[in-house]
Amino acid sequence: MSFCLETYLQQNDDYEILVQRSGVKQCYKLIEENSKELIHVNPGDKVLGARLIGLPPIPVGINEDEGAILITYTKPCHGTAAIKIPISPEEIESVRAMDIGTD
Amino acid sequence: MKALVLLGCPEAPSQTPIGLYASYKLGQMGYDVTVSSNPAAGKILDISDPEGVYVKKRVDIEKCLDEIEEGDYDLLVGCVHKDAAATFFITYYHILKCKALALVFSRDAEEVAEFADMVESSTDADIIAVRAFHNPNPIKVKFDKYLKTLEE
Repeated sequence: MSFCLETYLQQNDDYEILVQRSGVKQCYKLIEENSKELIHVNPGDKVLGARLIGLPPIPVGINEDEGAILITYTKPCHGTAAIKIPISPEEIESVRAMDIGTD
Repeated sequence: MKALVLLGCPEAPSQTPIGLYASYKLGQMGYDVTVSSNPAAGKILDISDPEGVYVKKRVDIEKCLDEIEEGDYDLLVGCVHKDAAATFFITYYHILKCKALALVFSRDAEEVAEFADMVESSTDADIIAVRAFHNPNPIKVKFDKYLKTLEE
């Protein structure tokens, strides 16, 4: 089953909003500060079925001990939010495999 | 040739007229133009252009983002007047990998510089950056000059 971030955020309340209605760089800083592990993806790469919007390289935080990832979520009229979403160990592995690395 | 005009939050009054103008002028130049807009901007376009004289094709900005692939368009023109608009433009650019123009505008000169820097640092897009908010004419003047370069 594919994951739809938009639907997930509408239908669940087990995610944590670190900040909302913010700028993308501020959100990246929060993700970097609150993540035990960081990977990076390209703008438009699909993480859990959702194309990530942002400036390259886009940081995605992984907190494996919490079973969660940290990503940004941008809406045109509402700015960017940094959110922490619980996901399964298998989904963590698939997210980790998307790392483009940074030089 | 296919062009995509990207319109985000319509908070800046200049966005809608410049979006309509861009769609119209690019159409006159022979582009098959699609406007990708968020729901609020889309509703304003529906009221502004009820018979689709200037905007022939319109899609939802997030649905479009989910579906587009490299090579779908030959030209991307995006209005950038908010942080979120810059990130949407940059993301569309990286997916489409085509020639692109960012129309950067705000009433605040510092914001214009900040958004222009975001686009310049993250893409090879052409950039028009002006102070404009209510009056779209400063954007139009530079956009017209840019279109002449496309015709050459």
